[in-house]
This record gives sequence, structure tokens and C-alpha cells, in this order.
Amino acid sequence: MATLERPVLRYRRNQRIVHAVLATSFLLLLLTGMMLLWGPASRFAGGGTSRLVHRIAALGYMSVPIGYLLADRAGAIELVRESFRYDRDDIAWFKHMYRYALGRTREMPPQGRLNAGQKLHHAFVIVVSVGVVGTGLTLWFLKSSLGPDWLAFTTLMHDLCMLGLTLFLVGHLYFTYVYKALSGMTTGYVDAVEARLEHAKWVEELAASPQPAHATDPAHAITKTNKTTTTTYRKGKKQ
Amino acid sequence: MAMAFLLDLGRCIGCQACSAACKTGNELAAGTQFIRLIEQTRGEFPDLSGGFTNHRCYHCADAACVNVCPTGALYKEDGLTRTSRDICSGCGYCVEACPFGVPEMVDGLSSKCDGCADTVRAGGEPWCVVTCPSNALEFGEREEIVKEARERVTAMRARYPKARVYGEDEAGGLGVVMVLPDDPDVLDLPVDPAPGALINTWTGIVQPATLALTAGATVAAGVMGVIARRNHMLELKALEEGEEA
Repeated sequence: MATLERPVLRYRRNQRIVHAVLATSFLLLLLTGMMLLWGPASRFAGGGTSRLVHRIAALGYMSVPIGYLLADRAGAIELVRESFRYDRDDIAWFKHMYRYALGRTREMPPQGRLNAGQKLHHAFVIVVSVGVVGTGLTLWFLKSSLGPDWLAFTTLMHDLCMLGLTLFLVGHLYFTYVYKALSGMTTGYVDAVEARLEHAKWVEELAASPQPAHATDPAHAITKTNKTTTTTYRKGKKQ
Repeated sequence: MAMAFLLDLGRCIGCQACSAACKTGNELAAGTQFIRLIEQTRGEFPDLSGGFTNHRCYHCADAACVNVCPTGALYKEDGLTRTSRDICSGCGYCVEACPFGVPEMVDGLSSKCDGCADTVRAGGEPWCVVTCPSNALEFGEREEIVKEARERVTAMRARYPKARVYGEDEAGGLGVVMVLPDDPDVLDLPVDPAPGALINTWTGIVQPATLALTAGATVAAGVMGVIARRNHMLELKALEEGEEA
């Protein structure tokens, strides 16, 4: 069984920058948008500054796919492909997702670089972002020609899209905390034991790879040992 | 106490005194008007009839502009729709939502009649009312205003058979109760100015539900996160002990 002895590179620098732009712009959009929903915060929206910030952040949010393609075309395409491709282990993972939500990774089916939940998160963000950007641009440029009913419909859809994205963000932060995953987006490296537990198939792939990217950095080398420390999944039971 | 205006279009002579007094009394910027008088001529020569309609805030009880205003810059007080421009975000939702097309964006902020809030609070009457030379405008308790409007309509019917009160029930009851010499659509007024169901769904259901779900999910994640993290730390510890063994 292949194991990683040292932290393993999970997100390259360009990926981390793209993530930082996405996270910053989304949080700004959420904050300035919430000012229009939550009474106590609404007084900060007076004067239109929050509206300006919202629009600047929207430009940042919309630039993410373009920036990702420019910075790492292959990585961006691979991310989209992975996010919409689910195998049997992914389906099994969803069936036992409550265990993962409760912090019990050892009982989960083996996963690739992205676990099934992360794939779903990415797919959801991609699809719903189209909705939130479309309705947002409509409200930005076509508001004066909408009329009362279409204005209500467009803002209603904009709010619902943001609600969906926000609930997924809460889940995203939840799993980041439970599985100590923040380092993946700060340094790019994740703990080897965590990687082994949560992404066993990916670790196997890395270890089997003749020229793994990590091997170029001795500090983050992959080694093969005879230790069997991961649990394998069979019909929901540990073997 | 609900207050209201009486606007008698049978008596309006189109002198523009109300508009000018409003503009001066409220110190409105150049190009800004809260009252616009529109001359209307109907029929074909020589059978012409006509009059003047007012384009102004009608202070709906069920006000679409108040419903959609996200910051509370538009709000109801004493039956009238007031404005606080200092907390207006300039989103412009009120402009689109108003069934009468009244609010305008001035310097990026919503602008419309607020019923001379400061003057009325100080015990005075709105500028348009004190200036009107033909008694087409009155201001007072809504109940009394409605009564007066009905009496005027009754008196008008000999000359204007289609005369009616407009605003008694429309949009939940307007703060400007009107005496019309003709049908509302003839005078370019919406027959049913009630806010659309979608607006009420958006502001009454979706927005509060969005806040509640977001807050609920955050609290639940916070509590669950502590439990799940502890579970995960225990499984890591068990793994470590297993490796050592």
C-alpha cells in the first residue's frame, strides 16, 4: 500500500490564486448583497457605496473562469470534467455521506483527488454561478426595462441562486474545519494522513506515477512502504 | 392616525400652483418635480372634453415601493409613504415596482413626494394643499377625506355620469383619494394598481426565508462542526495508535 510520509501538494499556486479571487469576490458579493436583505445591516447600504463594491466584486467573480483558463487551462478543464464525472465509489460516498459529515472518514469509500462531495460542490457552483451572473447582469444593465413582475422574478432568482451558493459555502467551510483542510489553500499542501484517509485513490495514483510532481521537491516526496494504514470500503463496512 | 390627500380632478384648473409651491417649499433641485400636471384632451373637434391629471405619489397603503425597498429608505408613516434619502442605496427597485411610475432617481437616489413630512409634523399642511386656489386639494384624516370625496362625486354625477372615487380601496387604499370625472383608464390611471404577487413572494417569503436558512445553516454547522471535528480527531488518533502497534 502506498503511503505519503510528508505533506502532499494538492493545489498549485495558480489554483490557490484563482480560489482566493473567487473567495474574496464571493464574500464581498455576499456581504454587500446581505445589506439589502438584513434590516440592521441595510443602513450601511445608504449612499450607494455597497452597490459600487458589489459591482466591482461581481467583475472579480466573473473574471474567475477566464483567469483560471489563462493561468492553468489544463487544470481548469480537468476540474470541470472531474466535477461532472461520478463513478460507483462516488455514488457509494453519497449514500454514506452522513458519516463523512460526522467526521468519520475511515468508513467512507475510497475517493480520487476530489471526493464526491467536492465534485458536487464544484458542479453546483459552476451551474448556479451562471444563474447568479445572468440575473445579476440583467439587474445591472436591463433593470429599467424589466417592469414590476420581471424585476421581482429576476431579483427572486438572484436571491435564490445566492442562497444556494451560500448554503454550499457554509458546508464548504464546515468540511474545511472538520478535516483541517485550510492549508490546502494557503500553502497548497495537505497532511499526508488526511490525504490518505480522504483521497485514497488519488494517493495511489500519485505513488504509482513514475514522475510525480511532488518528487521534484524532496521535502514533499512520496514513498512506498508496506504499511497498510488506510481502511478499505466494502458495502459500507470496514474490512 | 391615517392621513390622506383629497385630489378632485373635477376642480383642478391646471394652474401649476401646487407643483410650483411643492418645488419651492421642499427646496427641490433644478429639474426635480414631485407633482407634474398633464393636460388631457379627449374626443374630436368640436366634441372635445378635457382636464388635468396629476402625476404624483399616490401613497398606496400596500405600497410596492416600500415592499421592494431593501434599506427602509421608503416607509409608511401616518398612512403616507415617507422617504429617507440618506439611507437610500440607489438600487432603483422602487422606480420599477411602482404601478404609477412615480419614483425617480435624482443624483443616484430615489426621489418622490413624502407628503411634506417635516411641515406636517410641525403642524402645517402640505405645500400643494395650502396653495391650491380651486379647492381641488385637501388634506386631513383619511376617513374624513373619503367621506368628502364621496360627497363631491355625488354632486358631480349630474354633469359627469361616470364620476367616481378612486383610491378608496385600490392598492390597499391610496393616501391620495381622488375624485375622477371619468373612468381611471381614460385618465391614464391603472384600473388595478395592486403590487404583483411576485413582488410579495419575493419580499414576503423568499427574502425572510433566505435569511432564516442562512442563519440556521450557519448555527447548525457551528454546532455540528465541533462534534464532527472531535470525531475526526479521534479517528486520526486511533489510526496513529494502530500504526504504532
